[in-house]
Amino acid sequence: MLRALSGTTRLILLLLALLLSVIFLLPKQTRDVLQAMGKPVSALVFFPVEAFTSVEQTIIGVWQEYVALRHVREENRQLRRDLELLQKQNSDLRESASGAHRMAALLDFKEQFIPKTVAAQVIGRDSTNWYSSLILNKGDRDGVRPEMGVMTSAGVVGRVVKTGPFSSVVLLLTDPHNAITGIIQRSRDEGIVEGTTQGRARIKYLPLLANLRIGDTVVTSGLTGGFPRGVVIGSVLSLQKEEGELFQSAEITPEANLSRLEEVLVITVPRSLDGQANLKEK
Amino acid sequence: MKQALYISVMLGLVPFQVTVLNYAGIAGIRPDLPLVAAFLIGFLSGEMEGLLMGVILGCMQDLFSAGSVWINLITKGAIGALAALLGRHLASATPVMVGALLFVVSVLAGSTAVVWLRVEDGFAGVLDIIQAVVVPEALFDAALGAAIYWILPGRRRRAAEFGDDMALFGR
Repeated sequence: MLRALSGTTRLILLLLALLLSVIFLLPKQTRDVLQAMGKPVSALVFFPVEAFTSVEQTIIGVWQEYVALRHVREENRQLRRDLELLQKQNSDLRESASGAHRMAALLDFKEQFIPKTVAAQVIGRDSTNWYSSLILNKGDRDGVRPEMGVMTSAGVVGRVVKTGPFSSVVLLLTDPHNAITGIIQRSRDEGIVEGTTQGRARIKYLPLLANLRIGDTVVTSGLTGGFPRGVVIGSVLSLQKEEGELFQSAEITPEANLSRLEEVLVITVPRSLDGQANLKEK
Repeated sequence: MKQALYISVMLGLVPFQVTVLNYAGIAGIRPDLPLVAAFLIGFLSGEMEGLLMGVILGCMQDLFSAGSVWINLITKGAIGALAALLGRHLASATPVMVGALLFVVSVLAGSTAVVWLRVEDGFAGVLDIIQAVVVPEALFDAALGAAIYWILPGRRRRAAEFGDDMALFGR
Protein backbone atom coordinates (compact mmCIF):
# COMPACT_ATOMS: atom_id res chain seq x y z
CA MET A 1 0.00 0.00 0.00
CA LEU A 2 2.87 2.38 0.86
CA ARG A 3 4.48 1.83 -2.54
CA ALA A 4 1.55 3.62 -4.14
CA LEU A 5 2.35 6.83 -2.21
CA SER A 6 4.40 9.67 -3.64
CA GLY A 7 7.67 10.87 -2.08
CA THR A 8 6.10 13.98 -0.46
CA THR A 9 3.29 11.95 1.06
CA ARG A 10 5.77 9.44 2.47
CA LEU A 11 7.75 12.35 3.95
CA ILE A 12 4.61 13.79 5.58
CA LEU A 13 3.62 10.39 6.95
CA LEU A 14 7.15 10.01 8.32
CA LEU A 15 6.94 13.44 9.98
CA LEU A 16 3.58 12.54 11.47
CA ALA A 17 5.01 9.28 12.83
CA LEU A 18 7.94 11.25 14.24
CA LEU A 19 5.57 13.74 15.87
CA LEU A 20 3.58 10.87 17.36
CA SER A 21 6.78 9.32 18.78
CA VAL A 22 7.87 12.65 20.31
CA ILE A 23 4.40 13.09 21.85
CA PHE A 24 4.57 9.67 23.48
CA LEU A 25 8.18 10.03 24.63
CA LEU A 26 7.95 13.62 25.93
CA PRO A 27 4.24 14.21 26.67
CA LYS A 28 4.65 17.18 29.06
CA GLN A 29 7.11 19.12 26.90
CA THR A 30 5.17 18.43 23.69
CA ARG A 31 1.91 19.53 25.28
CA ASP A 32 3.46 22.86 26.33
CA VAL A 33 4.97 23.43 22.86
CA LEU A 34 1.72 22.54 21.06
CA GLN A 35 -0.27 24.71 23.47
CA ALA A 36 2.03 27.70 22.81
CA MET A 37 1.91 27.11 19.04
CA GLY A 38 -1.87 26.86 19.16
CA LYS A 39 -2.46 30.23 20.85
CA PRO A 40 -2.27 32.36 17.65
CA VAL A 41 -4.53 29.84 15.87
CA SER A 42 -6.95 29.99 18.79
CA ALA A 43 -6.99 33.82 18.51
CA LEU A 44 -7.75 33.57 14.79
CA VAL A 45 -10.57 31.05 15.22
CA PHE A 46 -12.06 33.03 18.14
CA PHE A 47 -13.57 35.65 15.80
CA PRO A 48 -15.71 33.23 13.75
CA VAL A 49 -16.79 31.61 17.04
CA GLU A 50 -17.89 34.99 18.38
CA ALA A 51 -19.65 35.81 15.10
CA PHE A 52 -21.64 32.56 15.27
CA THR A 53 -22.43 33.25 18.93
CA SER A 54 -23.70 36.78 18.30
CA VAL A 55 -26.02 35.56 15.52
CA GLU A 56 -27.24 32.79 17.82
CA GLN A 57 -27.76 35.24 20.73
CA THR A 58 -29.70 37.63 18.50
CA ILE A 59 -32.08 34.88 17.39
CA ILE A 60 -32.51 33.60 20.95
CA GLY A 61 -32.99 37.16 22.26
CA VAL A 62 -35.74 37.98 19.77
CA TRP A 63 -37.53 34.73 20.49
CA GLN A 64 -37.25 34.95 24.28
CA GLU A 65 -38.36 38.59 24.43
CA TYR A 66 -41.44 37.83 22.39
CA VAL A 67 -42.38 34.83 24.54
CA ALA A 68 -41.57 36.67 27.80
CA LEU A 69 -43.85 39.63 26.92
CA ARG A 70 -46.89 37.40 27.21
CA HIS A 71 -46.31 36.86 30.93
CA VAL A 72 -44.44 40.00 31.87
CA ARG A 73 -47.18 41.74 33.90
CA GLU A 74 -47.77 38.81 36.23
CA GLU A 75 -44.03 38.22 36.53
CA ASN A 76 -43.47 41.90 37.37
CA ARG A 77 -46.04 41.76 40.17
CA GLN A 78 -44.41 38.63 41.59
CA LEU A 79 -40.94 40.18 41.35
CA ARG A 80 -42.09 43.27 43.27
CA ARG A 81 -43.38 41.07 46.06
CA ASP A 82 -40.10 39.13 46.08
CA LEU A 83 -38.11 42.37 46.09
CA GLU A 84 -39.89 43.65 49.18
CA LEU A 85 -39.23 40.38 50.96
CA LEU A 86 -35.58 40.36 49.92
CA GLN A 87 -35.09 43.98 51.02
CA LYS A 88 -36.27 43.03 54.47
CA GLN A 89 -34.00 39.98 54.51
CA ASN A 90 -31.10 42.08 53.23
CA SER A 91 -31.53 44.54 56.04
CA ASP A 92 -31.53 41.72 58.61
CA LEU A 93 -28.46 40.17 57.04
CA ARG A 94 -26.60 43.48 57.03
CA GLU A 95 -27.25 43.80 60.69
CA SER A 96 -26.01 40.27 61.34
CA ALA A 97 -22.97 40.75 59.09
CA SER A 98 -22.07 43.94 60.86
CA GLY A 99 -22.17 42.14 64.21
CA ALA A 100 -20.14 39.21 62.87
CA HIS A 101 -17.59 41.59 61.38
CA ARG A 102 -17.07 43.33 64.69
CA MET A 103 -16.67 39.99 66.43
CA ALA A 104 -14.17 38.78 63.83
CA ALA A 105 -12.11 41.93 64.21
CA LEU A 106 -12.19 41.57 67.95
CA LEU A 107 -10.95 37.99 67.78
CA ASP A 108 -8.32 39.00 65.20
CA PHE A 109 -9.70 36.52 62.63
CA LYS A 110 -8.60 36.98 59.10
CA GLU A 111 -11.35 37.95 56.71
CA GLN A 112 -12.47 34.81 54.98
CA PHE A 113 -12.87 35.83 51.39
CA ILE A 114 -14.10 38.39 48.95
CA PRO A 115 -12.93 36.86 45.68
CA LYS A 116 -11.91 38.97 42.73
CA THR A 117 -13.73 37.84 39.64
CA VAL A 118 -13.93 38.47 35.90
CA ALA A 119 -17.35 38.17 34.25
CA ALA A 120 -17.35 36.11 31.06
CA GLN A 121 -19.89 35.05 28.48
CA VAL A 122 -20.32 31.41 27.46
CA ILE A 123 -19.74 31.30 23.69
CA GLY A 124 -19.69 27.58 23.04
CA ARG A 125 -19.40 24.01 24.25
CA ASP A 126 -16.57 21.47 23.90
CA SER A 127 -15.66 20.65 20.29
CA THR A 128 -15.83 16.91 21.06
CA ASN A 129 -18.37 14.71 22.85
CA TRP A 130 -15.72 13.34 25.25
CA TYR A 131 -15.62 16.24 27.72
CA SER A 132 -18.21 18.39 29.45
CA SER A 133 -16.73 21.82 29.00
CA LEU A 134 -17.59 25.40 28.10
CA ILE A 135 -15.80 27.99 26.00
CA LEU A 136 -15.66 31.50 27.47
CA ASN A 137 -15.00 34.80 25.70
CA LYS A 138 -12.27 35.80 28.19
CA GLY A 139 -8.68 34.56 28.02
CA ASP A 140 -5.05 35.42 28.78
CA ARG A 141 -5.57 39.09 27.97
CA ASP A 142 -8.25 39.40 30.65
CA GLY A 143 -6.14 37.74 33.31
CA VAL A 144 -7.74 34.28 33.03
CA ARG A 145 -5.29 31.45 33.73
CA PRO A 146 -5.55 27.64 33.90
CA GLU A 147 -6.71 26.21 37.27
CA MET A 148 -8.83 29.27 38.12
CA GLY A 149 -12.26 28.49 39.53
CA VAL A 150 -15.46 29.39 37.68
CA MET A 151 -18.82 30.04 39.37
CA THR A 152 -22.18 31.71 39.01
CA SER A 153 -24.21 33.41 41.72
CA ALA A 154 -25.82 29.99 42.30
CA GLY A 155 -22.61 28.02 42.81
CA VAL A 156 -19.56 26.27 41.37
CA VAL A 157 -19.41 25.68 37.60
CA GLY A 158 -15.94 24.17 37.09
CA ARG A 159 -12.34 25.21 36.54
CA VAL A 160 -10.33 26.68 33.67
CA VAL A 161 -8.16 24.08 31.93
CA LYS A 162 -6.95 25.88 28.84
CA THR A 163 -6.57 29.50 27.78
CA GLY A 164 -6.04 31.36 24.51
CA PRO A 165 -5.52 35.10 24.06
CA PHE A 166 -9.27 35.80 23.83
CA SER A 167 -10.92 32.62 25.01
CA SER A 168 -10.67 29.88 27.60
CA VAL A 169 -11.98 26.35 28.14
CA VAL A 170 -13.73 25.47 31.42
CA LEU A 171 -14.05 21.84 32.52
CA LEU A 172 -17.44 21.45 34.18
CA LEU A 173 -18.01 20.10 37.67
CA THR A 174 -19.86 17.11 36.18
CA ASP A 175 -16.94 15.95 34.01
CA PRO A 176 -15.24 12.76 35.30
CA HIS A 177 -11.82 14.40 34.81
CA ASN A 178 -12.63 17.15 37.30
CA ALA A 179 -12.02 17.03 41.06
CA ILE A 180 -12.66 19.74 43.68
CA THR A 181 -12.35 19.43 47.45
CA GLY A 182 -15.67 19.96 49.18
CA ILE A 183 -17.16 19.79 52.66
CA ILE A 184 -20.63 19.02 53.93
CA GLN A 185 -21.75 22.40 55.29
CA ARG A 186 -23.68 21.01 58.26
CA SER A 187 -21.33 18.28 59.51
CA ARG A 188 -18.01 19.75 58.19
CA ASP A 189 -16.98 16.35 56.75
CA GLU A 190 -14.53 16.69 53.90
CA GLY A 191 -14.43 14.79 50.59
CA ILE A 192 -13.57 15.07 46.90
CA VAL A 193 -16.26 16.16 44.44
CA GLU A 194 -15.90 14.47 41.06
CA GLY A 195 -17.99 14.23 37.92
CA THR A 196 -19.39 10.90 36.81
CA THR A 197 -19.56 9.26 33.38
CA GLN A 198 -23.36 9.74 33.54
CA GLY A 199 -22.87 13.53 33.63
CA ARG A 200 -23.66 13.99 37.33
CA ALA A 201 -21.46 14.81 40.36
CA ARG A 202 -20.48 12.80 43.42
CA ILE A 203 -18.67 13.52 46.67
CA LYS A 204 -16.27 10.67 47.55
CA TYR A 205 -13.97 9.69 50.42
CA LEU A 206 -16.32 10.82 53.18
CA PRO A 207 -15.64 9.10 56.55
CA LEU A 208 -17.89 6.12 57.25
CA LEU A 209 -19.07 7.74 60.48
CA ALA A 210 -19.95 11.02 58.76
CA ASN A 211 -23.52 12.00 59.56
CA LEU A 212 -24.96 12.70 56.11
CA ARG A 213 -28.53 13.53 55.22
CA ILE A 214 -30.26 13.88 51.88
CA GLY A 215 -30.50 17.57 51.10
CA ASP A 216 -27.26 18.54 52.90
CA THR A 217 -25.41 21.38 51.18
CA VAL A 218 -21.89 20.72 49.86
CA VAL A 219 -19.54 23.72 49.69
CA THR A 220 -15.93 24.23 48.59
CA SER A 221 -13.33 23.67 51.29
CA GLY A 222 -10.91 26.27 49.94
CA LEU A 223 -7.95 23.91 50.46
CA THR A 224 -7.13 23.29 46.81
CA GLY A 225 -7.91 24.72 43.40
CA GLY A 226 -9.02 28.20 42.52
CA PHE A 227 -12.00 28.40 44.88
CA PRO A 228 -12.36 30.21 48.17
CA ARG A 229 -14.01 28.41 51.07
CA GLY A 230 -17.79 28.26 51.24
CA VAL A 231 -18.92 28.48 47.61
CA VAL A 232 -21.96 26.23 47.14
CA ILE A 233 -21.34 23.15 44.99
CA GLY A 234 -24.68 21.40 45.31
CA SER A 235 -26.93 19.37 47.58
CA VAL A 236 -26.88 15.68 48.49
CA LEU A 237 -29.30 13.67 46.37
CA SER A 238 -28.57 10.10 47.52
CA LEU A 239 -26.12 8.29 49.78
CA GLN A 240 -23.92 5.31 48.91
CA LYS A 241 -22.55 3.35 51.87
CA GLU A 242 -21.42 -0.17 51.02
CA GLU A 243 -20.30 -2.91 53.37
CA GLY A 244 -16.56 -3.44 53.54
CA GLU A 245 -15.77 -0.03 52.09
CA LEU A 246 -13.55 2.39 54.00
CA PHE A 247 -15.44 5.47 52.88
CA GLN A 248 -18.92 6.48 51.89
CA SER A 249 -19.98 8.65 48.97
CA ALA A 250 -23.00 10.67 47.95
CA GLU A 251 -24.46 11.75 44.65
CA ILE A 252 -24.99 15.50 44.50
CA THR A 253 -27.10 17.80 42.37
CA PRO A 254 -25.07 20.83 41.24
CA GLU A 255 -26.59 24.10 42.41
CA ALA A 256 -25.75 25.93 39.17
CA ASN A 257 -27.75 24.83 36.13
CA LEU A 258 -24.80 23.63 34.04
CA SER A 259 -26.82 22.94 30.90
CA ARG A 260 -28.13 26.50 30.56
CA LEU A 261 -25.22 28.77 31.39
CA GLU A 262 -24.87 32.09 29.62
CA GLU A 263 -22.65 34.18 31.91
CA VAL A 264 -20.18 33.05 34.55
CA LEU A 265 -17.59 34.53 36.92
CA VAL A 266 -13.94 33.46 36.74
CA ILE A 267 -12.28 33.72 40.17
CA THR A 268 -8.95 35.40 39.50
CA VAL A 269 -8.00 35.89 43.17
CA PRO A 270 -9.75 33.47 45.55
CA ARG A 271 -8.69 35.29 48.74
CA SER A 272 -8.80 39.04 49.10
CA LEU A 273 -5.49 40.39 50.30
CA ASP A 274 -7.12 43.85 50.52
CA GLY A 275 -9.65 42.43 52.95
CA GLN A 276 -6.90 41.22 55.24
CA ALA A 277 -5.11 44.55 55.01
CA ASN A 278 -8.30 46.42 55.93
CA LEU A 279 -8.80 44.21 58.92
CA LYS A 280 -5.28 44.88 60.19
CA GLU A 281 -5.87 48.63 59.93
CA LYS A 282 -8.89 48.28 62.20
CA MET B 1 -11.91 27.96 -5.65
CA LYS B 2 -10.66 24.86 -3.86
CA GLN B 3 -8.30 26.93 -1.71
CA ALA B 4 -11.13 29.29 -0.75
CA LEU B 5 -13.27 26.31 0.20
CA TYR B 6 -10.48 24.82 2.32
CA ILE B 7 -9.87 28.16 4.10
CA SER B 8 -13.61 28.47 4.81
CA VAL B 9 -13.65 24.92 6.17
CA MET B 10 -10.56 25.63 8.31
CA LEU B 11 -11.94 28.84 9.79
CA GLY B 12 -15.63 28.01 9.91
CA LEU B 13 -16.03 24.33 10.74
CA VAL B 14 -14.74 24.27 14.34
CA PRO B 15 -16.59 27.52 15.31
CA PHE B 16 -19.76 25.97 13.82
CA GLN B 17 -19.11 22.77 15.78
CA VAL B 18 -18.76 24.55 19.16
CA THR B 19 -21.69 26.96 18.72
CA VAL B 20 -24.54 26.20 16.33
CA LEU B 21 -24.13 22.42 16.34
CA ASN B 22 -25.09 22.29 20.04
CA TYR B 23 -28.70 22.61 18.86
CA ALA B 24 -28.35 19.64 16.49
CA GLY B 25 -27.39 17.20 19.22
CA ILE B 26 -29.53 14.22 20.14
CA ALA B 27 -29.30 13.40 23.88
CA GLY B 28 -26.25 15.66 24.06
CA ILE B 29 -24.39 13.83 21.28
CA ARG B 30 -23.34 15.84 18.23
CA PRO B 31 -21.70 14.68 15.00
CA ASP B 32 -17.96 15.28 14.70
CA LEU B 33 -17.82 17.61 11.69
CA PRO B 34 -13.99 17.82 11.52
CA LEU B 35 -13.85 14.00 11.38
CA VAL B 36 -16.41 13.86 8.57
CA ALA B 37 -14.61 16.67 6.72
CA ALA B 38 -11.14 15.08 7.08
CA PHE B 39 -12.52 11.73 5.87
CA LEU B 40 -14.33 13.15 2.84
CA ILE B 41 -11.44 15.41 1.84
CA GLY B 42 -9.02 12.49 2.06
CA PHE B 43 -11.42 10.17 0.26
CA LEU B 44 -12.06 12.58 -2.61
CA SER B 45 -8.79 14.52 -2.88
CA GLY B 46 -5.97 12.20 -1.83
CA GLU B 47 -3.50 11.56 1.01
CA MET B 48 -1.78 14.93 1.14
CA GLU B 49 -4.94 17.05 1.37
CA GLY B 50 -6.67 14.59 3.69
CA LEU B 51 -3.71 14.42 6.02
CA LEU B 52 -3.07 18.17 6.14
CA MET B 53 -6.71 19.17 6.52
CA GLY B 54 -7.15 16.46 9.16
CA VAL B 55 -4.16 17.74 11.13
CA ILE B 56 -5.28 21.40 10.86
CA LEU B 57 -8.91 20.70 11.79
CA GLY B 58 -7.85 18.34 14.59
CA CYS B 59 -5.48 20.96 15.99
CA MET B 60 -8.23 23.61 15.97
CA GLN B 61 -10.63 21.17 17.58
CA ASP B 62 -8.10 20.46 20.33
CA LEU B 63 -7.74 24.17 21.05
CA PHE B 64 -11.48 24.38 21.82
CA SER B 65 -11.66 21.19 23.84
CA ALA B 66 -10.69 20.38 27.42
CA GLY B 67 -8.38 17.57 26.24
CA SER B 68 -4.67 17.60 25.42
CA VAL B 69 -3.53 19.47 22.32
CA TRP B 70 -2.72 16.43 20.20
CA ILE B 71 -5.42 13.75 20.41
CA ASN B 72 -7.58 15.14 17.61
CA LEU B 73 -4.57 16.41 15.71
CA ILE B 74 -3.26 12.85 15.39
CA THR B 75 -6.58 11.03 14.95
CA LYS B 76 -8.02 13.45 12.39
CA GLY B 77 -4.74 13.53 10.42
CA ALA B 78 -4.64 9.73 10.39
CA ILE B 79 -8.30 9.59 9.31
CA GLY B 80 -7.61 11.96 6.39
CA ALA B 81 -4.69 9.80 5.21
CA LEU B 82 -6.53 6.52 5.79
CA ALA B 83 -9.59 7.74 3.89
CA ALA B 84 -7.37 8.56 0.91
CA LEU B 85 -5.87 5.07 0.95
CA LEU B 86 -9.35 3.56 1.14
CA GLY B 87 -10.58 5.84 -1.65
CA ARG B 88 -7.67 4.80 -3.82
CA HIS B 89 -8.74 1.16 -3.59
CA LEU B 90 -12.45 1.68 -4.04
CA ALA B 91 -13.37 2.46 -7.61
CA SER B 92 -17.11 2.77 -7.12
CA ALA B 93 -17.97 3.89 -3.65
CA THR B 94 -21.65 4.48 -2.96
CA PRO B 95 -22.95 6.82 -0.23
CA VAL B 96 -23.92 3.76 1.83
CA MET B 97 -20.40 2.41 1.55
CA VAL B 98 -18.94 5.78 2.55
CA GLY B 99 -21.32 5.88 5.53
CA ALA B 100 -20.27 2.37 6.61
CA LEU B 101 -16.56 3.24 6.32
CA LEU B 102 -17.10 6.45 8.26
CA PHE B 103 -18.90 4.52 11.00
CA VAL B 104 -15.98 2.11 11.38
CA VAL B 105 -13.37 4.89 11.29
CA SER B 106 -15.33 7.01 13.78
CA VAL B 107 -15.75 4.10 16.22
CA LEU B 108 -12.02 3.28 15.96
CA ALA B 109 -10.92 6.91 16.45
CA GLY B 110 -13.39 7.52 19.28
CA SER B 111 -12.52 4.28 21.08
CA THR B 112 -8.79 4.99 20.81
CA ALA B 113 -9.27 8.45 22.28
CA VAL B 114 -11.54 7.22 25.10
CA VAL B 115 -9.17 4.38 26.03
CA TRP B 116 -6.29 6.85 26.12
CA LEU B 117 -8.29 9.31 28.25
CA ARG B 118 -9.22 6.64 30.80
CA VAL B 119 -5.73 5.09 31.15
CA GLU B 120 -5.08 6.93 34.43
CA ASP B 121 -8.35 5.66 35.93
CA GLY B 122 -7.63 2.04 35.02
CA PHE B 123 -10.00 2.17 32.02
CA ALA B 124 -12.96 2.73 34.35
CA GLY B 125 -16.20 3.24 32.45
CA VAL B 126 -14.59 2.81 29.00
CA LEU B 127 -17.27 0.45 27.73
CA ASP B 128 -20.02 2.72 29.07
CA ILE B 129 -18.53 5.71 27.24
CA ILE B 130 -18.07 3.74 24.01
CA GLN B 131 -21.67 2.57 24.21
CA ALA B 132 -23.16 5.91 25.25
CA VAL B 133 -20.99 8.36 23.31
CA VAL B 134 -18.71 6.81 20.68
CA VAL B 135 -21.23 4.56 18.89
CA PRO B 136 -24.07 7.15 18.70
CA GLU B 137 -21.57 9.76 17.49
CA ALA B 138 -20.28 7.30 14.84
CA LEU B 139 -23.86 6.69 13.63
CA PHE B 140 -24.34 10.44 13.41
CA ASP B 141 -21.05 10.84 11.52
CA ALA B 142 -21.92 8.00 9.14
CA ALA B 143 -25.34 9.44 8.29
CA LEU B 144 -23.98 12.94 7.81
CA GLY B 145 -20.98 11.76 5.78
CA ALA B 146 -23.15 9.61 3.51
CA ALA B 147 -25.56 12.51 2.94
CA ILE B 148 -22.77 14.96 2.13
CA TYR B 149 -21.09 12.43 -0.17
CA TRP B 150 -24.39 11.90 -1.96
CA ILE B 151 -24.74 15.60 -2.79
CA LEU B 152 -21.06 16.47 -3.32
CA PRO B 153 -20.05 17.43 -6.86
CA GLY B 154 -16.61 15.92 -6.13
CA ARG B 155 -18.20 12.50 -6.14
CA ARG B 156 -19.14 12.96 -9.76
CA ARG B 157 -15.57 14.00 -10.60
CA ARG B 158 -14.24 11.00 -8.77
CA ALA B 159 -16.62 8.70 -10.56
CA ALA B 160 -15.56 10.16 -13.90
CA GLU B 161 -11.90 9.67 -13.00
CA PHE B 162 -12.52 6.01 -12.36
CA GLY B 163 -14.68 5.71 -15.46
CA ASP B 164 -17.57 4.18 -13.56
CA ASP B 165 -20.83 5.72 -14.59
CA MET B 166 -22.83 3.63 -12.15
CA ALA B 167 -21.11 5.29 -9.19
CA LEU B 168 -22.94 8.50 -10.12
CA PHE B 169 -26.21 6.88 -9.31
CA GLY B 170 -25.19 5.46 -5.98
CA ARG B 171 -25.09 1.84 -7.02
